[in-house]
Amino acid sequence: MKISYTQVLLASAVLVLSACASNPKTTSLLEQVRADHARAQSNPKVATYAALEMQSATEALAKAEAAAKERESLETVDKLAYLTKQKIALANEVASRKSAESDIAGAAAVRDQVRLDQRTQEVNQARMKAQESERSAQAARDAAAAATQQKNVAQANEADAQRIAAEALTKNQRLEAQLSDLAAKKTERGLIITLGDVLFSVDQARLNADGLRMVQRLATVLQQNPNRVVSVEGFTDSTGSSQHNQDLSERRSMAVRDALLELGAVRTQIAVRGYGETYPVAPNDTAMNRQMNRRVEIVLSDERGVVSAR
Amino acid sequence: MKAPATADVAVSQAAVDNATSADGTEFAPVEMQAARVKLAAAKRALAAKDYKAASDYANQAQADAKLAQAKAGSAKAQSVSATLQEDIRVLRSELERTGTQ
Repeated sequence: MKISYTQVLLASAVLVLSACASNPKTTSLLEQVRADHARAQSNPKVATYAALEMQSATEALAKAEAAAKERESLETVDKLAYLTKQKIALANEVASRKSAESDIAGAAAVRDQVRLDQRTQEVNQARMKAQESERSAQAARDAAAAATQQKNVAQANEADAQRIAAEALTKNQRLEAQLSDLAAKKTERGLIITLGDVLFSVDQARLNADGLRMVQRLATVLQQNPNRVVSVEGFTDSTGSSQHNQDLSERRSMAVRDALLELGAVRTQIAVRGYGETYPVAPNDTAMNRQMNRRVEIVLSDERGVVSAR
Repeated sequence: MKAPATADVAVSQAAVDNATSADGTEFAPVEMQAARVKLAAAKRALAAKDYKAASDYANQAQADAKLAQAKAGSAKAQSVSATLQEDIRVLRSELERTGTQ
């Protein structure tokens, strides 16, 4: 029992001793540096940008670990650990700098592209503005051209109207001059030309030479004014039977129509009517008055070809 | 032992000078201060002919100075990168605004 106790004690002492010999010396700084080293090694930026610095730090750590394993003084271990710590920090800073420099290169390219986009956009906007104002200017020119054209048309129309009016005036003046030769009278029904009894053979429907000359002038007027029509109306005095007078008035007015047709007027321009001894212009008491009642009146229509009925 | 210590101190001095001209003082004041203090200690140790200590201090000063320089470099690069990203953001929003006019 005693032996075994001693054996146990010995074994324990050997265990403690061997534990002491196999466990390397360590310090809190060295442990911190180990952690720093592990972190730096797992940092991809350090691997990419600071491989050399990291290698140097790893070598420094190996020296510190070796010193600890060789159980050198705590001071020596800490000195080596400190150098390692600074080298790891250096690797981290170098990695950080090179990474930032790489970002700068990329960012400069991006910035240049954005600036280029900006210039492009400005140019495009300027071009669009220019096109817009060109469109406006073209629209203004078109409008001005259209206005000028309208004005020209209006002037042409006005000139036409003036010419037509002038022509109409000339025509009317010519007509009035011609009709004044025929001693036309202006009445409510229109212009009336009276062919007196003296222009007919006595009690006959035949026009004499003077009568034909007047009818000739009237035919010319109708030829020159195809829009106008005439109503040829015959009248007599009260001498003789009313049937005879009716016949005579109709025959005289038809004689005038036939003469007009022969001398160039158109049939549709001429209406004929006998009124016999009605509508006398004077009492039938003297030879002079009766002669005034024996007549053919020719009513000239207005421009539209309308003759109002008696 | 003398010659390597002298060389270590010279290299550390160069590292501190480089870090200083790279604006290490502005961007990594803690590391720069540590580097200068350790370089001074290295020089004192060298003068006292404690070459082991001189070499140790010099090595630490060099590590500190290099880290300070690297920190300044990375801070500058990140600042430029951030400025560029902001430029791009402003340009894009401007592009969108004028594009929808």
